[in-house]
Amino acid sequence: MATAKSKSAKKRAVNGSKKGAAKAAPARAASGQLNKNTIRVRMYRIGFGDCFLVSLPIRGEDSKSDYKHILVDCGVHGRGDIKTMEQAIDNIAKVTGKKLAVVIGSHAHQDHISGFGKFAEKFAEFDIDEVWLPWAMDKNNKVANRFVKKQAALVSQLEDHFHALAARGAPVENGALEAVENLRGNEKAIELLRMGFGVNATVRYMTAGDKLKDPARIQGLSVRVLGPPTSEEFLSQMDPPAGQHYLRLVNGNVEPADSAPIFANKWTAQANAIGVPRLSLDDMQTLKERAEFPLDDLAFALTKVTNNTSLVVLLVFRGQYLLFPGDAEYGNWRWWLEQDDSGDILSRISFYKVSHHGSFNGTPKSAVEKMSEGRFGAMVSTQSAPWKSIPKPELMTALNLRAQKRIVRSDWISVDSAPAPLPGSMPVEPPRLPKGFSKGSIWVDYFINL
Amino acid sequence: MGNKPGTDESTIRHRPLKVYAFDPSRGRTLGNYMTINVEYEDVQPGPLGKYVHVIDYDATHDCYYLPIDLTERKILIQGGIDPNESDPRFHQQMVYAVVSETIRRFEFALGRTIVWAFERRIHDEYDERKPLRIFPHAMQEANAYYDRDLEALLFGYFKASETDAGVNIPGQTIFTCLSHDIVVHEATHALVDSQRDFFMEATSPDAPAFHEAFADIVALFQHFSFKEALLEVIQQTGGSIFRSVVDPETQPANGAPIIQAELTADNPLVGLAKQFGDAMGTRKALRSALGTPPNTNDLKKYNEPHTRGSILVAAVFDAFFTVYVRRTRDLMRIARAGGARMSSGDLNYDLANRLAEIAAKTAEGFLNICIRALDYCPPVDIQLGDFLRAMVTADYDLVSDDKYGYRMALIQAFRSRGIHPAGVASYSEESLLWSAPEGLSLHCKGLAFDLFSLNPRQQRQKNGKALWSFAKKHAELFCLTIGPDIKIQARTHHEVHRVSPDGQIMFNVIAEITQSREVPIDPNYPNLGKFKFRGGTTLILDENSNVKYSIPKPMGYEKDDENNERLIRQRAYQARRESDMAFSDFSEERLLGPELVERWSKSLNMTHRGY
Repeated sequence: MATAKSKSAKKRAVNGSKKGAAKAAPARAASGQLNKNTIRVRMYRIGFGDCFLVSLPIRGEDSKSDYKHILVDCGVHGRGDIKTMEQAIDNIAKVTGKKLAVVIGSHAHQDHISGFGKFAEKFAEFDIDEVWLPWAMDKNNKVANRFVKKQAALVSQLEDHFHALAARGAPVENGALEAVENLRGNEKAIELLRMGFGVNATVRYMTAGDKLKDPARIQGLSVRVLGPPTSEEFLSQMDPPAGQHYLRLVNGNVEPADSAPIFANKWTAQANAIGVPRLSLDDMQTLKERAEFPLDDLAFALTKVTNNTSLVVLLVFRGQYLLFPGDAEYGNWRWWLEQDDSGDILSRISFYKVSHHGSFNGTPKSAVEKMSEGRFGAMVSTQSAPWKSIPKPELMTALNLRAQKRIVRSDWISVDSAPAPLPGSMPVEPPRLPKGFSKGSIWVDYFINL
Repeated sequence: MGNKPGTDESTIRHRPLKVYAFDPSRGRTLGNYMTINVEYEDVQPGPLGKYVHVIDYDATHDCYYLPIDLTERKILIQGGIDPNESDPRFHQQMVYAVVSETIRRFEFALGRTIVWAFERRIHDEYDERKPLRIFPHAMQEANAYYDRDLEALLFGYFKASETDAGVNIPGQTIFTCLSHDIVVHEATHALVDSQRDFFMEATSPDAPAFHEAFADIVALFQHFSFKEALLEVIQQTGGSIFRSVVDPETQPANGAPIIQAELTADNPLVGLAKQFGDAMGTRKALRSALGTPPNTNDLKKYNEPHTRGSILVAAVFDAFFTVYVRRTRDLMRIARAGGARMSSGDLNYDLANRLAEIAAKTAEGFLNICIRALDYCPPVDIQLGDFLRAMVTADYDLVSDDKYGYRMALIQAFRSRGIHPAGVASYSEESLLWSAPEGLSLHCKGLAFDLFSLNPRQQRQKNGKALWSFAKKHAELFCLTIGPDIKIQARTHHEVHRVSPDGQIMFNVIAEITQSREVPIDPNYPNLGKFKFRGGTTLILDENSNVKYSIPKPMGYEKDDENNERLIRQRAYQARRESDMAFSDFSEERLLGPELVERWSKSLNMTHRGY
């Protein structure tokens, strides 16, 4: 879909990034230019994952760096990787002069933070002022630690289980396996984020209700943290279920993790023993399914738990409201939707990063309904692989209506051998991007006039 | 087995069987080893009786465990096998005894025989009874639940937490079927389901919360029928049985306890499933009857069924303990006037006995009110406030003078927790009582209740039909919706025989009239499909077949759907459940129409997977 038109858009966008901006376009700038009167949100297409760069113009501070840059996530799911991340990071380096005021790691999932670990050397060259993380990633937070430990143990057990199932030739629900994988291999990225990339960046662990004024010396920026909460109800949802039973591979043989019998052998009845009732095959099958079922369920429950630890940040800059909810699902949203001014905030947003790649429960309907019709632009970083059900057509249709078509998907940028939107997937790419949006080689920009 | 010469089984009334009063973690303390006198019946190995069939199949290990034969001589002599975690036959015996006892309590309170939900469905085809199946070791899972499809109670077993197992050995196997509370809780779900067809549908945050709370209430009240445990707690709390901890057997000499007799312990009467809670690493009983101090905010805050339900549990127990204190105040005063010491461990034996008697009686009274109130609930979509009205009316009907202030205490406890019945002007008893359509005496013709009828099934069917035409005739008065495509159904009705405390015999007929219509899941997205929105009315008739109470849950008309509060609430609730469900985001297939509807209707089962 990279038409001639989009190529020219790319040229403009690149030019506009640094030098062009210094020249200060007229107050009502044509969209597509970064200048001192525009905010730019750049969404990179890196596959199934988030990578957003927000550039804010700072007036009259230091003439050499007229912009402050905030990087929101940089990660891709192992099975939805389209190998463009390195290119994206190079572009970030170029655009920002390797200076990031803030790096946000929204939550501990591959598709949001893997890049920080995989391209650690590249990030080591950056000058980073602050790192913002959800409280759930804080090593010194007792509650967070308990969850993390419990989860890590469950994840490895679950993975063993699914692999053992596969080894036995049994069907494995791929969705469940992939969901578990999303939780893996993030240790390095998490560690780097926690130590502020080793460049003395200030690390903040944030909780719903936190407020910041002019953080990271970004004059005029105020920040409100809307999630994750620490309320009791929220925490009770976070606690992963325990005491399941697993299969595992031991020396190449499959056996249940707890194969030990629960009673002495003498109590096990032979099928034909007197007085032993006979269940029908159907009943036995149903019972066995009941006994197996919780594992797939658990796999999804676990990813949901982590999604709900997403840092939900509202950036308010010169009257513009930008909402970045990470992958927050309903448990996280609920808390702040119940606050008095949630309607007020949502009705004022000028930009919405669609939560959780446009999945069914990423954006609650009640939230969509509170957004002001036609007053905001939205971006959704998504792709039909590895989950065909993402993005959810009903939700996307509703958002498209609300935003009055000012919504753009990352998979409208065509990348070699990367999956294109499925037929029937919503919204459909229009011949021209809506006003305020323009395409680059592997990104889309959204400009907000100040 | 049949009669053997020289014995006459008809004179045997009870079969004594040993069980844990709480769970294995309490050892022998506080009356934990107890005997239940199960109503006598002829049993096959399993045990297999009239109401229940214990089947010890383990799906995780794919094997059967040997069934107990309660008629075996060695077992008979001892009054059942002694409590023993390592012998599956004791487990079978315990679930059999505890479930049977719970059934008996329901039958006593309801004044009729229990017929399981799945029996009702097949009732026309078979005359034989079909027992509820109980799987004491169904699978390895930290859970237990009533499974309507399997017509069974499923009890899981699991390894205690390796890091924080409380009083358990880390990694020890915990059997949910050995927790008296869990067994009663799950049996109660099955018993409630046996009463009405759609009563258990999760239609709002209140409906599943009510069912969890109700099951907990029954389990907790059961504690007060354990004579020994009750006496010990009365001793160790100086009669204040509602305290959350009991005093040590002896006070520590220098402040800090050194030996176990100096340790305080949790009060087992007010906590639920302690071993289970401990094994999961929560370090306390799973749920408590007491909850937090009453406030009107909690109800707004909590939506998770168990948490929300605990507000209802706390309200009922607040009332119970309040009445207990009032009823024992004179005894305490007399004892004190006589110079008796009232601190724990020193209570006079006779006084303790009297207190225990009052506690047990009061508990039984409250439990009966709660169970009887089931008959006075609307047939679908119950709200917590409806239950208060049901309890008040049920008790008023049987005991009009409220001598001990049961109803006042209940009303006050609900009021202080902000549980407000919809459409009621005040918390006075008169406005809380359900009523009949005003100004009319409505008589249902054609009902026959011949106890000695030669063909009881035919009589039932005839009565059902009479009730159905009666409801149809007065549909408007009973707040039913009338329309060409809208059916009125009288699927269940019950004959109730009760004896009031003043010796009067009461006869009532309870009929559940239900109806439904299809409404879009989301009016803004018509292609998402439709679901069945239900309404209905519970009718209570007196011995002359006149309407005494009409308890409606109207479903309204399509033209008013935009303002139909019940419908709006149900939609909001189900949309929220849908988005809360673990699968919805990653599931491969798109959920549309029928699948979504099926998930909605199945979702009640999911609640039950969290005991």
